[in-house]
Amino acid sequence: MGWLSSVFCVNPLTRKGLFALLLMVLEWTRPGLSSPLRPICDLRVLDHFIKEAWDAEAALRACKDACSIATNFTVPLTRVDFDVWEAMNIEEQAQEVQSGIHVLNEAISSLQASNQTDVLQSHIDASINNIASIRQVLRSLSIPEYVPPTSDGEDKEMQKVSSISELFQVHINFLRGKVRLLLANAPVCHQGVS
Amino acid sequence: MTKMSDRLKIVFMLCLAFVTTGGQHFESKVAQLLQDETEDIKCFVELKDLTCFWEEEEERNNLQYTFTYSYENKNKMACVVSSLSLLASNKTVFFCKLPKTPFFTTLDVQVFRDGRMLYSRSLNAENYLFLDPPRNLTVLSSGKEGQLNVSWLPPLLKYMDDSMIYEVRYAVEGSNMGKVEVIKVSTMLVLLGLQSDTRYKVWVRVKPDGVAYKGYWSAWTEPVLGVTQPSDLDPLIMVLVLFIGLILCLLSMTVILSHHKFLLKKLWPDIPTPEHKFPGLFTVCKGDFKEWMSQNNSSMWGRSVQVYTEELPSPLEVLSEVSLTSHGTSQREERKPVEEDEEKESERSDSGLTDRWREPPQAHWLMEQLRALQENPQSLSQSLLVQSHDTYVTLNQNSQGDGEREVDDVFEETLPLQTLFTTTGTTSLSTSHSDLGSLQQSSGSGRLSSQSSFEYPNQTWPPKGPGYTYMAVADSGVSMDYSPMSSSRITELGRHRMYTNDYKNEIFLHKWPLFGEHNKSGSESCMGPVW
Repeated sequence: MGWLSSVFCVNPLTRKGLFALLLMVLEWTRPGLSSPLRPICDLRVLDHFIKEAWDAEAALRACKDACSIATNFTVPLTRVDFDVWEAMNIEEQAQEVQSGIHVLNEAISSLQASNQTDVLQSHIDASINNIASIRQVLRSLSIPEYVPPTSDGEDKEMQKVSSISELFQVHINFLRGKVRLLLANAPVCHQGVS
Repeated sequence: MTKMSDRLKIVFMLCLAFVTTGGQHFESKVAQLLQDETEDIKCFVELKDLTCFWEEEEERNNLQYTFTYSYENKNKMACVVSSLSLLASNKTVFFCKLPKTPFFTTLDVQVFRDGRMLYSRSLNAENYLFLDPPRNLTVLSSGKEGQLNVSWLPPLLKYMDDSMIYEVRYAVEGSNMGKVEVIKVSTMLVLLGLQSDTRYKVWVRVKPDGVAYKGYWSAWTEPVLGVTQPSDLDPLIMVLVLFIGLILCLLSMTVILSHHKFLLKKLWPDIPTPEHKFPGLFTVCKGDFKEWMSQNNSSMWGRSVQVYTEELPSPLEVLSEVSLTSHGTSQREERKPVEEDEEKESERSDSGLTDRWREPPQAHWLMEQLRALQENPQSLSQSLLVQSHDTYVTLNQNSQGDGEREVDDVFEETLPLQTLFTTTGTTSLSTSHSDLGSLQQSSGSGRLSSQSSFEYPNQTWPPKGPGYTYMAVADSGVSMDYSPMSSSRITELGRHRMYTNDYKNEIFLHKWPLFGEHNKSGSESCMGPVW
């Protein structure tokens, strides 16, 4: 403690000095949870998840009969109209993306419970992990978290799909489209740029 | 009115220009897809507008066609079909452009003709991007040899800058062999490993990378020429280097020539020849040493020198000298008949290895002496017998018959020996004592290799030649024993194995070959060189 106080020119003998020293030390050793994540602006991170989603979609495109199930999945809309998209502000875009991810996650997670082949299971697990990672990336960019809609508010537009291959098509299209556009335009990444 | 008409004209011209430029690209794209694409209805996205077209061979009217499309299975929409005549291939193409196509969603298109569905296709628009070639391609020579800096502008597409992949093709001007470099995202490239001072043509094309967006390769840009830097090796520098090399060669040559003798000596040393010491040996006598010897001064070497080449002569320490002049000549005459007898005898006995020793007549009295001595061993103390264990030699100068009954040795020249042997009654046997009593005269010390020169006294050696002593030298390895010998025995000795190095130590086993007994069992004497 002696060298610390000498470095910062604080006299630990007085109460004020001790308190100041303590604050400085605590500032250094801030608990991990409260510290913000470093923003992940590089789109290659998302491109990696998109590539894995491509693999899943390609694997499941071929599997039609064996992979069809009775229940329907609620999935987000993937359509992007550039004019419309550019007209939206960052919060709206964030909300659309976050709700879509949430819904996708639920749909894919519901597949985990059912009995599937090993290949399919590996793709399902990978997709769920990737969605969790994308959530972390969004959090690092200070994108607002998903807020479930209130009871009186309208739910975002969703669509329904009836097959696993369609589910994964929606998955890949959503990641390539809205999620990527949001990340590319994240304000945190453009702060230093004129 | 004129102003208005002028403005209209200008606008029309601009539109036309725009259309034609767009059309040029459009037409080329269509033409390219006609070749590459296998689908019946071909679609591509150009600047966010989706265009779908199909080829028709027969002469048709575009109004006959109905083009419908729908997104995500929703309400269908219609599109006006247009026609296009390709000038290059003289083909007619019908197409429909859908403005502001939404991405990341499924599009269903259908073509009807006269109520019948001709083509149908379902696609995602973001997978069929057909971009324009990169603009502003520039090729500049970098500061280094064999390098070119290539740069261009990316396509004007929002959100897609980082999803592009480029291909750069370059070739020497006039050559068809080109190399291709692929580069992602970056719009600048440095070409390496080029020939210096050469003109290169460079092309670039672009395509979506296939992760977020997919599409076709764009058309190649127009070739741009670039020249690489000339090589650093100037002709002037080459000439200078050659010149300096030449000068260095000349210098080294002069140095070598001036010191060639010295260098030759070092590299090719002369083999020394003894020619200068033996004048005429190699030239006149042709290497025949005997002949040369006979020609040479005889006083130096003498006639019948028996040279035993098995061993080099051991150095003999002469402690004293005796003058020969007073005695030598007188004695010579006396000895001559003796010598002749001796020689005859030696010739007779000169038949292989003979064990018998022919006693010369003079030795008869010696034998008697020996018998006498053997009967009375006590009289040996003063010795006529050589004590076998004595190992020292003394050479005393003795004049005129001092040798009679002398225990001490009188060696040296023949004279004292002659005196020894020719005087009657008295014998002084040459006793040999080796120098430096390294060994005691005792039987106990017989373990060492003391070879005494002779144990038995009955030896007569009429020496041959004037003034020379013939001595048997026993080399024990520790010291030398010198004892006189007859010249006639020398030849016999030569036949026996006298020069062995087998130093065995049973002194009593040692026997003189002079007595004709050849000791073959182990210990033999080692005789030094005999002169």
